[in-house]
Amino acid sequence: MNLVNSTHRMSPFLLLLTLTVFPGNAWAVQSHGAPEGLYVHQLAHVFFTAALCYLIWGIRQSAFKSRGWRFLQIFCVFMALWNVVAFTGHSLASYVDNAHFIREGGYLTTRLEGPFTSVKLLFYFTKLDHLFSVPALLFLYLAMKGIYKSSCEVEEI
Amino acid sequence: MTSIPMLPAILVDMVGSFIIIILSFLSLRYAWLLIRKQPDNFLWGFLFYFCLTLVCFSVSRAVGHLLKQIFLIFNNKDQWQVLAPYSGGFNTLLMISLAAVSIYYHKGIEGFRAIQQKARSLKEANEQLEVSADKLLRLNVDLEGIVETRTMKLAASEKKFRNFFSNSKDMVYFCNASNRLVNMNSAGLDMLGYSMEEEPELSLHQVFCNEEDLDNYFETIVSVGFVEDLEAEFVRADGTVIYVLLSATALFDEDREFVGCEGIAKDLTRVRTMMEQLASSEKMASVGQMAAGVAHEINTPLGVILGYSQLMMDDFSPESEEGQSLQVIERQAKACRKIVADLLKFSRQSESARENIMVYEVLEDVLAVTEHTLSMDHIHVHRDLDENIPTIVGDTEKLRQVFVNFINNAHHAMEEQGSGDLFLSCHYEEAANQVVATIRDTGHGIPTEVVAKIFDPFFTTKSVGKGTGLGLSVSYGIIQEHGGTIDVESPAKRDDGEPKGTAFHVRFPVTLRESASVKK
Repeated sequence: MNLVNSTHRMSPFLLLLTLTVFPGNAWAVQSHGAPEGLYVHQLAHVFFTAALCYLIWGIRQSAFKSRGWRFLQIFCVFMALWNVVAFTGHSLASYVDNAHFIREGGYLTTRLEGPFTSVKLLFYFTKLDHLFSVPALLFLYLAMKGIYKSSCEVEEI
Repeated sequence: MTSIPMLPAILVDMVGSFIIIILSFLSLRYAWLLIRKQPDNFLWGFLFYFCLTLVCFSVSRAVGHLLKQIFLIFNNKDQWQVLAPYSGGFNTLLMISLAAVSIYYHKGIEGFRAIQQKARSLKEANEQLEVSADKLLRLNVDLEGIVETRTMKLAASEKKFRNFFSNSKDMVYFCNASNRLVNMNSAGLDMLGYSMEEEPELSLHQVFCNEEDLDNYFETIVSVGFVEDLEAEFVRADGTVIYVLLSATALFDEDREFVGCEGIAKDLTRVRTMMEQLASSEKMASVGQMAAGVAHEINTPLGVILGYSQLMMDDFSPESEEGQSLQVIERQAKACRKIVADLLKFSRQSESARENIMVYEVLEDVLAVTEHTLSMDHIHVHRDLDENIPTIVGDTEKLRQVFVNFINNAHHAMEEQGSGDLFLSCHYEEAANQVVATIRDTGHGIPTEVVAKIFDPFFTTKSVGKGTGLGLSVSYGIIQEHGGTIDVESPAKRDDGEPKGTAFHVRFPVTLRESASVKK
């Protein structure tokens, strides 16, 4: 009698187990193609840019006027610019394929071949995105240092 | 220029990636220092998590870029293509995380500000609370001091008024609305003849002698609010009456309802007696002056009448009608002269001798003459004569006359009842330096209403012809002349306790004088 009752209670779980062991076609699960990763990455850049703008607005709203907080805002500006550059770079990558590069020796001898269009030049420029990200991180470092110093001064006072 | 080398871009990418890793870690270090210094500070917490996420992102991206360049430099493009999706995925994930942390700032800072505001408010409230607590503490300390000072003052005041209440020689009392005496000092109880130990439950109805006085007292105190110098008579525990001067104030509650009264009463019995005695003395003095004047005026024509009547008696036979009439004239003229002489004695116009006298000897002399007559009427004489007493200065004859008067009066008071006792005592009161002679009988006594008049000239209760009413007034004049006093006690206290009869207490001052007689 007990065995019958237990089996009755376990029946939904047994059905689920059977379906798991013999999956067949899992139609409920959506398949993802290769471009999806690029789109997500690009959306992340947009989201990050928006978040940085929101952070700038938030800091200004907070009325923190010290040097450290000003540097943090500059960091945000540079990071936002970097995001724009990176987003542009990723977008232009599809327009500039391997045929536009020539290589005489190894990888380090790779050159972007002419004729130079605005897309090619912009693509080359976006490859130099560290010109924005490095200053951004430098300002972040200065911001953190400044905020730390300010907090020490306040504590001393 | 037909082509641009990619080498600068490759170098910038590699060097930049490396610098980014270094700078992100340096930033994280300061964020770590901040959070370690103030772990509860939201801002430092935000910066730390922001820097931490940025480090992760920087490392992920920079390492990805470096690996890419290294793989490509060493012609391992296939391997990089395997690794590239992971690197990109991580970068995407961390970039989203970084964005999420950045978004968290604004809401976080709002919460932080709200908490800070609350904390500030709480701090201000705490500070105000501390200030209030401090004020309260100071107030409490001050209050304790004030209470202590007030208590001391109150205790001192209470002691002062308690002493006044207890030590007052006058009656101080408190009475409730139903006339009950709720508090009375010991002097008041003593005045009324009670003791503190008895704790008598008295009311004003019991204390006031006259109902009329009490009604007057209450009417005045309720209508006016106080009573001032009200003369009243109080009844003592033994039934005797004392004369008091009363001042009292009404007590009202918050609703102006009469709740009782408080008062002070002064015993003026002695003062009143003295005043009466003084008035009596003045009356006697004026009567004496008048009597002396009348006596002098009458004495001359009386002498002429007596002289001529005696001359005419020589011309007529005693048996003749004229002789009989002249004898009557002579007898009545002599009687008049005796009255005149008594009046002069009363007014102290007669001559007096001044000699040292033992009072008990005078009493013995008088008794020697009167005792026989007294015994005839079954009156027993009891002597209590102290022989060890000092002498007084005075006129023996006049004092004999005084004591004869007293004994005769006692005799008359007892002769109707057929028997009696006459007590004579004489002793010395050292404290007052007085010799006191007392003549007490067991007769009918003197009615209260006439006690004050017995020393008045011509006042007598005897039938016409039996007394002139000059005996006691003459005695009074003589005792006054000797500087003494006469006290009347009627009914007089007896040894067995039952008051009966009359007692005369004659007090003589003891003064040292030469024994030689002097004429005044």
